Amino acid sequence: MAHDWQPDFEQLVDEHQSMVFSLALRMTGDHGLAEEIAQDAFLELDRNLGKIESAAHACFWLRRVTMSRSTDAMRRRKVRGVNLWVEMEDHHGLGVEEQASPLGARLEELLITLPEPQRAALVLRYQEDLTPEEIAVTLGAPLATVKSNLQRGLKLLRIKAATHLKEYVRGA
Amino acid sequence: MDDFERELRQAFERRPTPPGFKSKLMRKRRAQRSPHPAVLWQRLAASIALAAVVAAGFAWRQHEERRKGEAALRQVMIALRITNRALDNMNKQRAAHGRVNQN
Repeated sequence: MAHDWQPDFEQLVDEHQSMVFSLALRMTGDHGLAEEIAQDAFLELDRNLGKIESAAHACFWLRRVTMSRSTDAMRRRKVRGVNLWVEMEDHHGLGVEEQASPLGARLEELLITLPEPQRAALVLRYQEDLTPEEIAVTLGAPLATVKSNLQRGLKLLRIKAATHLKEYVRGA
Repeated sequence: MDDFERELRQAFERRPTPPGFKSKLMRKRRAQRSPHPAVLWQRLAASIALAAVVAAGFAWRQHEERRKGEAALRQVMIALRITNRALDNMNKQRAAHGRVNQN
């Protein structure tokens, strides 16, 4: 189908770099890896720019590719036998404190300990403000699974926050 | 949405990219667009190999045509020699037959 939208790569980078980097960072918990994933996602966008039909499509496409690349990166680490949780927590502490609020940093630390599907659903829900339906389309997962991951992830995070972040969180 | 979810949303605000992110990306993009010198050499070598195969095929075809032409010419010459000999024999027989009738 023909489309009139003329993509400008640099403009797309300016608009979405923060979104792409933050998604990758919250999924992997590793600044270096997140930057690498974000760069790869934009380079892949550049290669597929002709297929992108609108600004909204570009945003959806970047979210989808970033989530998928992040998941792949995590699985590769698991296959390599890296002690994922220990490593992620180690990396995550670096730089987080410098930029995020103390509560934000602590919540991110707790987020990284959740199972990957729950983490993905929560990041898209609370960082990107997506509805469960939009999350299901982005992740290519059934809606019921996404809703379940959101509920379980939120519950687990609440329990962890109630234990570890009493001084910060009011509603946990 | 309860307090915890509101705090979660606040905590999960988008983060700025590391310094130099865009310039690094643009450098990678330029490198991706201009092919690596090794790729250029590979393309050149492939083109030369292809040209050599085409030229060899053309030369072989010409050689085959010439060989077949020469074989056909040899056969025609043999046929002409045989015909010539047969005509000679016929002439000799006719001459001998004429002499017998005169006597």
